[in-house]
Parts: sequence; structure tokens; C-alpha cells
Amino acid sequence: MRKNSSLFVVLVVLAGVLLALGGCGKKQVAEPIAEPQEDTQAVRGDDVPLSEPEETIYVEPGAGVFQDIHFEFDKYRILPDDEGTLQRIARWLKENEDVKVLIEGHCDERGTNEYNMALGEQRALAARRYLVTLGVASDRLNTISYGEEQPLSSASTEEAWAANRRAHFTVSQ
Amino acid sequence: MTSPAKRLIAAAAALAALLLSSVPAGAPEVHLSITKGFGEKVIIAVPLFHGSSGSTSTKDMRVVLSADLRNSGYFSVVENLSFVDEVETDDRRAGRVDFAEWLTLGAEVLVKGDIAVRGQEMTLEAQAYDLSVGRSIFSRRYVGAPGRWRTMVHELADDLVRQLTGEQGIARSKIAFVSNATGTKEIYVMDYDGENMRRLTKDGLAAMYPAWFADNGTVAYTRFRKNGQELVALTVGTGVIRRLTAFPGLNAFAAVSSKGNEIAMTLSRDGNPEIYRLRADGTDPRRLTRGSATESSPCWSPDGRRIAFVSDRSGTPQVYVMSAAGGAEERMTYRGSYNSAPAWSPKGDLIAYTARVDGVFQVCTLDVETKDVVQLTTGAGNKEDPSWAPDGRHLVYSVRSQRKSDLYMLDIYDLVPVRLTSGSGDHVSPAWSH
Repeated sequence: MRKNSSLFVVLVVLAGVLLALGGCGKKQVAEPIAEPQEDTQAVRGDDVPLSEPEETIYVEPGAGVFQDIHFEFDKYRILPDDEGTLQRIARWLKENEDVKVLIEGHCDERGTNEYNMALGEQRALAARRYLVTLGVASDRLNTISYGEEQPLSSASTEEAWAANRRAHFTVSQ
Repeated sequence: MTSPAKRLIAAAAALAALLLSSVPAGAPEVHLSITKGFGEKVIIAVPLFHGSSGSTSTKDMRVVLSADLRNSGYFSVVENLSFVDEVETDDRRAGRVDFAEWLTLGAEVLVKGDIAVRGQEMTLEAQAYDLSVGRSIFSRRYVGAPGRWRTMVHELADDLVRQLTGEQGIARSKIAFVSNATGTKEIYVMDYDGENMRRLTKDGLAAMYPAWFADNGTVAYTRFRKNGQELVALTVGTGVIRRLTAFPGLNAFAAVSSKGNEIAMTLSRDGNPEIYRLRADGTDPRRLTRGSATESSPCWSPDGRRIAFVSDRSGTPQVYVMSAAGGAEERMTYRGSYNSAPAWSPKGDLIAYTARVDGVFQVCTLDVETKDVVQLTTGAGNKEDPSWAPDGRHLVYSVRSQRKSDLYMLDIYDLVPVRLTSGSGDHVSPAWSH
């Protein structure tokens, strides 16, 4: 224990020296020691509720390309209507090779919570597979399922359900 | 209703055998002269505890003990409290137990308590009597800080259940669950009766699918990060969070084996949601299912040899069972087009799950041997995510009604739902401790 804490002190001092030498006014990292695995998001956005919109993404080129695609009830196959959207996304990604995309899968409120979480993932994965077949490198495409947790509309109507069954694309870096 | 009935008869036979035979070493002693058919309950009188309990009301203690005994499923409590208190007063005055008088109340068992508070220490001396033969069958002293009175009373209730039925009580068990009362889904824990609710997480970005480790002190759950999900383990006492997995895609529906050394969960890191088996620290993931279907919601059999899960390989979500080593997959549900969220009874014989019946999700049980299905709930409001109490007799699940979800407890023999949560927000995904 004692060894560890003195090692820690040494590291902190070293870090301080490096920061001072660097002198480029970088923000001091004030991570809690207990949770070293936390990323900066945790520090910055501790109280951001899940329902709030994702942080605004400033991507001037390609804005308008990343449109949602939609799914039938309890299904995750890509609909013919959405193939054009996916082709536009693939084309743009091939022109912007440094960009990675997070594909979110969403469901309507029907179905059980756990099964919807799995179904949302299938929707994101279906979109990912489609983009990969169009030549986008798979390591540029991550998936996350929100299941029924983030509906666009909380109404219980066919229109709301149809809008909520979607894959949504965000640029992650 | 064949399977619970069979189970009841078997349990009744076991109880009778226990009562008739000499008690083998190591088995709980059962001291009750009455042999009960199942469904029949032991009638117990609970007079007010005697003595000074400091700031705690002896009435509250009686309320909690009576509720615990009723909730166990094995007791009905004498309701004529003014008569109960009158007989108790006479007993105290006479300095003895007037067995004949207690019998006139219809009681078969009587439990009495003496309380003394000295400084920061409260002592509860409890005695139970078998009234038909007129003798003491239980005596135990509970000591603790006065603020812990509730736990002491729960302990007494569990001891009475163990003493009189040989079964494990649930009064000291806890339920972890998810609530969005703060505006974000977070993990909470409460006593089995809905008391002492408190929030365990402050993740800010949704925490879901809690599951208890075998020690009842650590909860695994799925936490959302900006770029993905991860499975973490939270030690309840210290608040320390360890990350177990952070694979691309799903890191969801963790279930801890009853020995506590392994986790089953769904990962989609190979491009499809599949069931994996990992060490308890999240290392060494081994894939158990193959194919292009969606596999989710695994749970362990109590002996750790099998895993139940949900697959849509037939075109609709259905419950399957496989070997915990993978393979030997068997479809368990055939009725209905939407069966999910299986939970294996700690007694091993039943799997509870959610089934869509006439457009509404209901809680059912499935006999693992015969595949007989019993629908436990009815009526409007989707019921989801059943979780078993350690006694294998009670379930907790969520009910959605009027755009709000709350948790209910159900005795699978009595089938009278008891609401556990109220207040703002949804209460979902319950996990009963072991």
C-alpha cells in the first residue's frame, strides 16, 4: 500500500513537471483516483440524461447524409426504401476516410425491454453489414443499442412506433 | 395447474416426513405438532412485544413481523388484535402462557417478544409456542443497534419460517432494480418488502439489467457510455465500480452462476447477439451459441449445468435451454408468439418468463421436465422480467399501467400480487438477491 501511494506521488509529481515543461496550458486532469477507467465524458456530463440529444456534432461536409433508416415491427432487415440512404452514407464515408461512425439501433415501445435491446442491436448490425458490403471498413463502424430507451416520439400510435424503429448514425470521431 | 400442485404435494410430503421422522444431523429442526396440507397456513398470533423499545414503536415491529410471516406464504396472522392484546395482558399479569385462552383465538402458534434498550443496544427476546401441545418450540435473542430493529424483526421472521417449515425465508432478502425517478435510469436497491429504497448508481447515462453476485453484496449491471455499453460490477457496501466487459456492441443481460464464479451474458462482438460464458471478472469469454438468430437473456440453472435463454431462430422469440458448456439446445416454449425473459427457479424445477397472451405480457412458469405452462398473472398491464426470491416460491416483476411501471411481488401458490414500489418514475428490471 505504502509503496503504491509513494509511487503515485512520484507519478503525480512527474506529471506536474511534464505539464509545467509543456507549458501549453492544457487543462489539468482532475480524475477521481478511485475510478481511473472513467473517460472524460463522465466528468463532463455526469448529469446528462439519456433522453437528451447527443452532443452536437460539427461535421460540415456530409451533413444531411446521415439520415435515419427505418424498420418493420419486430424486424431488422434493411428496407428497399433505405438502400439509397445507406449508399449515400457509404459513398461519403469512403470520401472521408478519417471518420468513424456509431450506429444506434432503436425500437418502438412494444415488445419486452430485454428483447428490444437485442433487436435494436440487430438493427444497428444490419446497417453496419450493409455498409461493409458497400466497401466501408468494418472497424470504422461501431454499434450501440438503445432498445426502447430513446424513442423519438413517446406517443403510442402507429406513426410514432414507425418513427421510433430506426437506426441512427452519429460521427464518433 | 398440474406442476405446482405436484410440487405442493411433494413439499407437503417432505414436510410431513420431517415432522414424523427423527431429524437428521445438520437438517433444520422442525418443531410443530400440526402437519399442514399445502395451501393450508399455520395460524399464528402476534401480540405486541413487551418492554421499552425506546424510540421505536412496538406496533411498527408487530406490523413488520406480521407482514413478514404473511408474506412468507406459510402463515396467516390472527387479525383480532384487541383480543390478542387482551390475552397477552392477562398472560403478563399472570406470569404464564394461558394456552387454552390462546387456542380460543383460533391460533396454532404464538410468538412473543420482550424488548429492552440499554444505551445503543436493543435486545429482543423471542419465544414461540405450539399451542396445541402447550410448549415452547423456539427461543432466541436478537441484539443490535435500535436503528436496526427492522433487520432484527426480519431475522426473527426468517428464523420462524425455517423452524416451522424447514424452508428458507425471504424477509432479509433485497431486490435490486432500475428506476428513472431522477430522469435517468439508475440502479436502486430495497428490502424485499419495498422499504429502505436507495439509489446505488449515479452514472448519468443509463444503468440497466442488474444481477446479484452470489455474495449478495455485489451487483453487475450494464452501463451506457457515449460510445457503447459496458458491464460493470458495483460493490454495494463501498460503492466501488469495476469494469468487467466493454466489447463492441451489446454487453447486456448478465446472469451470475449460483456459485458466483461465472457470468452468462449477451455480446454481439462477433457480429450477432450471442450467449457467452465468462469468468466472474469478465475475462475468458467463451461463445455458447452459433448462427444468425438473436440470442439474449441467459439465466443459469441452480446447479450451473444448464442455461436458459431467448432465441428468435424459429421466427419469434422463444425460450430455449442448453448445456452450460454449449450445445444440447432444446426449445422449451411453443405456446404463443412472444416468450422472453426467462428466470430459473432456485429450486430448479420451474422457469418463470414473460409471455404475450392476447396482446398483453403476462408472467408464466414452465415446468423444466414436462414443459407444462402455468399462467400466473392476468388482466391489463404488461408484466415483465420476473425474478425469483431465494425461496423459489415468490416472484417479483414489473407491471406497466397508466404509463408508469411498478414492481409487484407474487406468491406462486396464493397468486395475490403485492405492490412494492410507488412514487414517481418507472421501476423495472428487478433482481431478487440470493
